Amino acid sequence: MIHLLASIKQVPDTTNIRIDPETGSMIRKGVPAILNPYDAHAVAAAAEWKRKLDGKLTVITMGPPAAKEALQECIEMGADRAILISDRKFAGSDTLATSYVLAEAIRKIDQDDPVDLVFFGKQAIDGDTAQVGPGAAIRLGLPLITYAVEISEINVDEKYAVIVRKTESGKEIIQTSLPAALTAEKAIAEIPYAALPDLITSLKFIPEVWSADEPLAYDENQIGLSGSPTMVAKSGTPEAHEPAETISVAEQGLSGAVEIILGKMLSNSSVASLLEELK
Amino acid sequence: MSKDKLQYDVIVVGAGMAGSTAAAIVARSGLKVAVIERGVKPGSKNYFGGALYTHALLDIYPDFFDRKPPLERPVTETGFWFLSEDGMVKATVQGGYVNSDPIDAYVALRAEFDPWWAEQAAAEGAFFIPKTLVTDFLYEDAKVIGVKTDRPEGDVYAPVVIICEGVNNLLTQKLGLIDHDLKISKTALAVKQLISLPAKDINARLGLLDNKHGLAISVIGDVSLGMPGLGFLYTTNNALSMGVGVTLDALEETQIKPYELLQRYLEHPAIAPIIKDGQLMEYGAHLIPEGGWTTLPKLYTDGAMVAGDAASMVNAIHWEGTNMAITAGKQAALTAIEAHKKNDFSAKTLAGYQKRLNETFVLKDLKQYRKMSAFLANHPEFMDIYPTFLNDALGMFFTGFGKPKGKLYKDIFRSLTRRRPLLKAVGDLVAFGRAITGI
Repeated sequence: MIHLLASIKQVPDTTNIRIDPETGSMIRKGVPAILNPYDAHAVAAAAEWKRKLDGKLTVITMGPPAAKEALQECIEMGADRAILISDRKFAGSDTLATSYVLAEAIRKIDQDDPVDLVFFGKQAIDGDTAQVGPGAAIRLGLPLITYAVEISEINVDEKYAVIVRKTESGKEIIQTSLPAALTAEKAIAEIPYAALPDLITSLKFIPEVWSADEPLAYDENQIGLSGSPTMVAKSGTPEAHEPAETISVAEQGLSGAVEIILGKMLSNSSVASLLEELK
Repeated sequence: MSKDKLQYDVIVVGAGMAGSTAAAIVARSGLKVAVIERGVKPGSKNYFGGALYTHALLDIYPDFFDRKPPLERPVTETGFWFLSEDGMVKATVQGGYVNSDPIDAYVALRAEFDPWWAEQAAAEGAFFIPKTLVTDFLYEDAKVIGVKTDRPEGDVYAPVVIICEGVNNLLTQKLGLIDHDLKISKTALAVKQLISLPAKDINARLGLLDNKHGLAISVIGDVSLGMPGLGFLYTTNNALSMGVGVTLDALEETQIKPYELLQRYLEHPAIAPIIKDGQLMEYGAHLIPEGGWTTLPKLYTDGAMVAGDAASMVNAIHWEGTNMAITAGKQAALTAIEAHKKNDFSAKTLAGYQKRLNETFVLKDLKQYRKMSAFLANHPEFMDIYPTFLNDALGMFFTGFGKPKGKLYKDIFRSLTRRRPLLKAVGDLVAFGRAITGI
């Protein structure tokens, strides 16, 4: 039986962000927490293939206790098992520490019940780093297919999958051995509208909770703040830019407009010195 | 997935004030109740920036305040601001009756309050099903025995359904409890901005001592440009909730856009300084059913009852609605419990809901104010002439220095009669008296 695993994150709904005018920091109060949209599509794809192949889908997340709601949403979509990795010791984890925590959890799950394909969203909409999925895949030594837009085939017996990924110049169709990992674009699957009994099951669902010590003893130097070399020096709202100056070709004529622009460029000292160098 | 059918003792449609209240009371009696809510969470489909009334909240949870409800400021000053085109007369009250214990009203943001109110009901044992739209009813021998939802395998069964679907009462219509869609002359569109300001600025600009003091103001006059409607201002902890509501038919007739009306209000010379440097946090609109008694549906049928906005339970003059919804939700719940005891869910038993409501302020007030919406529609002078006159009269009275006072009073009197003949004005006052007393 195929075993699919999706790793998800609960994020603040960034379409709904408000900034406190006094402190310049984000107001979390009243901002709904949602399942990261890319993760939702990744889980939808995993659930689709789980049904198709009559397999099993496990979902994991690292987060505060409230992240259970995001896991419930995955159960609603069809996940069979959900694990919440939650401990104060994980607080302040950056992408490096997070990928460690998730990779170790996946390794542990895999020992008991071998995992064939790991799904990540391509990035979370709060940090937008797109580092955790690839980081965990590297730690696990799994072949990684990023920006997956379609799963064309999963062959359980011969242990391979065919996955389409989006690139800047088009699409790549990749056949990979299993186990493997992918990071998903939204196009990978539509979010299903669950049947009412599935929704009710999810509302009553209580996920397994893993701490930093049980059932896995994490290395405390690799988690939380001490495992996170990333420093946030400052955060805030960027200053609004001055609107750009418009030079109308209709008014100035083409050569007139070019002259004005060249004049402006040459009056800029760094451009001028660059030209000097080129000479 | 084939499972047993979803069966409850009571279904509540909608997790607003009426719905979550009904669910709490039903669950408290030991019955199995499901609340079906179309929003992601209770309150997520709501847009409200007004006051909740403690009498109703305490009636459901006597230890309401100990439960740490997410309330904003108490209303310690309330009343009217009368706007002319460029001036304002304030008539507000503080202290005295307003300084009661507990304070009569609290400002709340429903996006925060409703999930909490639902949590209290869930703690009583009610089961909330979000993200699901009830689309129709299930019938057996023409009696309601459950609801259909928009989800696959979405039928839910219960011998009695309490409809608390809100202003857009499609299910109430579907059930034939009312024979028409919302009437544009009886429905207001309220547009509102939530404007963030440091608490110290709010306090300084509105003369409030601290966050334990707050304002609930009805703004009458230039704000509605003569249309039947009111502006409002409520203080939250760190923001002002300001908006204006007018009836849909007036908007259609004048072709004035609601956001223009709101913008005009916020740019009024007496209002603009209050919100100076404020940051827009939210902008939204919501319908308010203001028909009251005149658009009251039949409140029950075989297997179903209706409460709250869906049943037009709003008193627009007193900004009451949430308290009516709570009271009606409770009475509907008590009736559902009684029906289960009798094991009879026919209209005959559910008529007890109407009987119970007749004993409360809800139906008494709606009946007393039954002429109000027609009165406001037919007396635009209360929205423009009188507020302006009030501004002129007080303004002249306090600036008439050096003018013989006999002449001053004549001028003041003329500023009224120039706009409205005296006999008409007296008639207007009598009509107003009749509208609020219901005689």
